[in-house]
Amino acid sequence: MSGLMPARAHYFDGDAPVGQPVQPEISGDTLELKLEDGSTIRWPLSEIRQISDSAAKTNPMLRWVNDPLARLVLKDAKFLRDMPNLRRRSPPKGRGRLVAWALAAVAAVALQIGLLIPLLADNLAVLIPPEGERVLGEATLGHIRDALDETGLNPLEVCEVSKGKAALERLVTNLSGKRDFRQDVTVSVLDHEMVNAFALPGGFVVIFRGLIDAADGPDEVAAVLAHEIGHVISRDPTRHALRSAGSIGVLGLLFGDFAGGAAVLLLAERLISAQYSQGAETGADTFAYGVLSQAGINPGALGDMFESMRDKHGDSAGVTSHFLSHPTLSERITASRAVIDPDATYEPSMSDEDWAALQNICG
Amino acid sequence: MSDASIPSSPWGAQPQVSVAKPECEVPTDGTMHVDFVGRRGALFWLALKTGFFTILTLGFYRFWMKTRLRRWYWSAIRPGGHPLEYLGDPIEKLLGFFIAVVILTFYIGIVNLLLMFVSFSVFNSSWVGYLASFAGVIPIWFYARYRARRYVLARTRWRGVRFGLEKGAWGYAGRALLYWTLTIVSLGILWPRMTFLLEKYRTDRTYFGSAKLVQGGRWQMLYRAAVPFLAFLVLLLVTIIWVVFTEPIVENLPSSLDEFMQTDLIFDGKEGPFGIENPARLLLIPICLFGLLFGAIHYRWVAKRIMANYKSAEGVTFASALNGPRITMIYVLGNFIAYIVLVIGMLLLLLLSAVFFGFETLFSEHSGDMNLLSDWPRWAALVLLGAVYLGVFLMWGVLHNTFVTFPIMRHMALTTTLPNTIGISSISQRARDEFAEAEGFAEALDLGAAI
Repeated sequence: MSGLMPARAHYFDGDAPVGQPVQPEISGDTLELKLEDGSTIRWPLSEIRQISDSAAKTNPMLRWVNDPLARLVLKDAKFLRDMPNLRRRSPPKGRGRLVAWALAAVAAVALQIGLLIPLLADNLAVLIPPEGERVLGEATLGHIRDALDETGLNPLEVCEVSKGKAALERLVTNLSGKRDFRQDVTVSVLDHEMVNAFALPGGFVVIFRGLIDAADGPDEVAAVLAHEIGHVISRDPTRHALRSAGSIGVLGLLFGDFAGGAAVLLLAERLISAQYSQGAETGADTFAYGVLSQAGINPGALGDMFESMRDKHGDSAGVTSHFLSHPTLSERITASRAVIDPDATYEPSMSDEDWAALQNICG
Repeated sequence: MSDASIPSSPWGAQPQVSVAKPECEVPTDGTMHVDFVGRRGALFWLALKTGFFTILTLGFYRFWMKTRLRRWYWSAIRPGGHPLEYLGDPIEKLLGFFIAVVILTFYIGIVNLLLMFVSFSVFNSSWVGYLASFAGVIPIWFYARYRARRYVLARTRWRGVRFGLEKGAWGYAGRALLYWTLTIVSLGILWPRMTFLLEKYRTDRTYFGSAKLVQGGRWQMLYRAAVPFLAFLVLLLVTIIWVVFTEPIVENLPSSLDEFMQTDLIFDGKEGPFGIENPARLLLIPICLFGLLFGAIHYRWVAKRIMANYKSAEGVTFASALNGPRITMIYVLGNFIAYIVLVIGMLLLLLLSAVFFGFETLFSEHSGDMNLLSDWPRWAALVLLGAVYLGVFLMWGVLHNTFVTFPIMRHMALTTTLPNTIGISSISQRARDEFAEAEGFAEALDLGAAI
């Protein structure tokens, strides 16, 4: 019956790009294709699959599961009714390899972010010359001021009422004492209600107005300041910035272009709520106790600050202040209390006048 | 062997987008034509559906999305009435992505960190680091593009026969860097040379079955495609000279006292020395800039047409009747639609953020000085904003597929023919190109483009 009738299908043997006109016939559970050279191709109906996601319903293309190359293009869709498994998926292949590489990818990223980048960052941070650190810190401070601005017009204001600034200067000088880090530290107050303070590379220490408002007295501000200066002295912010430079690139790799901007947001968030390692936090605390005691200020003030914030905010304040979200906060409060020398007499860190000036530093 | 239809062959070398391009058949004069059978609406839904899944799976479905979209596009393109078939495997792509992540993660993480370190220690600036880290990725970028093309061609079949691209990704990356340097040094004069030689490098390594494609012609022929661009460039330069030098638009320096004295008298809106002269002339500048954009797009596509006409395999030739102005308008209007939606979406996002900021401010005022904002509303706001953000990009991608990729492919398919297809009957199958990392590098570096 073939020959005179127009071909109802073209068979491609998977070798030559030349279609052979065939008249498909169904015989029992087999599709028979009689080729012009007299040979017959037999495809079991249940093993025929249709190529999916076709742009048009016309001329469906079929394949047989046991021949990866041969194709049959039907002009007559009625044959499809007799093929029960047209949409069945191929059995998975190479899944083991996939899992292996997926694990390798996860391991590589974890190794990078968890081990290699921190290791490298820690070792390189101490090698960056001070000028370089300052440039990095200035750039980062600029980003943060832009990011926190709510009007979308100007960077967040730096509070610069001169009396307040002078009071802050005196406080830092007082804290510096014999350790003489006065030259290494630049303290500024940002006009934002967030109860937070952080250190940046190059000796920048930033306190938010919200923290001064929330403090129960000048000693608590002094204690937080001493803690942040501790980070500066041990170069924690520089390490953190280098780590971020490495790990943001790696994370950006994982998520496709559909979320390109997310990495940038992540970066800003990470810089503000900088979570240092427990060791770094303890180190900065210890540094703060030393500085406070030396300046004749009650080192328990650091614990007071933690405690008052915990009492006011509860334990869930989270991102509003990185002190609060730290799991060992209670331990740190206890540790701070333990440092208080019962025989010593502590002076307030600032005069009442200076404290009032500092409270009004944002005008 | 069919007496009714003369077989055709596809042409492997396609636009950067990585679409295999074929042609079609018309038995009467032996010329094979290329059909395009897909409908825009069907593509829209497929892109929307797969894009939605991609968002739901935090991006991992994108390998399936790409595969399904390519299968759709390929099956729509029918040289000689027979569809192309795309056999890329999403699992294969996912595997390739993991392989690329394993390799690139070390390169990008460690190298970025070292570059930032050097940048700050030696140059006291972050810009050197950013620039160097960008420059370091450029060779990998070209490498990845070539590899991605090789993968796509290796997974494309027509009439059961595979396409293929020979190895040579590093050679391609090296040449691309060299030609780009020459192009920049020559202020763009050698751009057509770069276009042509890179296309020739790819085409001369492209196979359909046993047939090798050859890119003929000379690079100078591409200057024809640049005519509109050059015309608008000259017009822009002339305008600038006219407006700034020969007849300055603002005469702020009176050349003599007399002129200065006349100022008030003549300043009745016409030709005063202090007045603005013929401000309408300034309109020429945006017109020229738009013309330059038009010219650049026109160059890109018309260059493809010119080169397509000089592609051949043994016994097979290609002809493209691609309409430059038409495809440029498709490109401009399609992108305009997609970007309008993107801009509107971003505005919506800004508006929503403002609303949330408003709530935040309100809340902290009620509670005095303390910021008592708990994590919960902020978290919810971020999730909502994130969803809107992803949704906007989803729509952008869907519209880009629907209004840019689709009509361009259709136009390219319908305007391509194979005047001579005698050689097809002597072509035979080529071996499978096993390809462990698939398009992994291109995927990891976000080179995927539309499809």
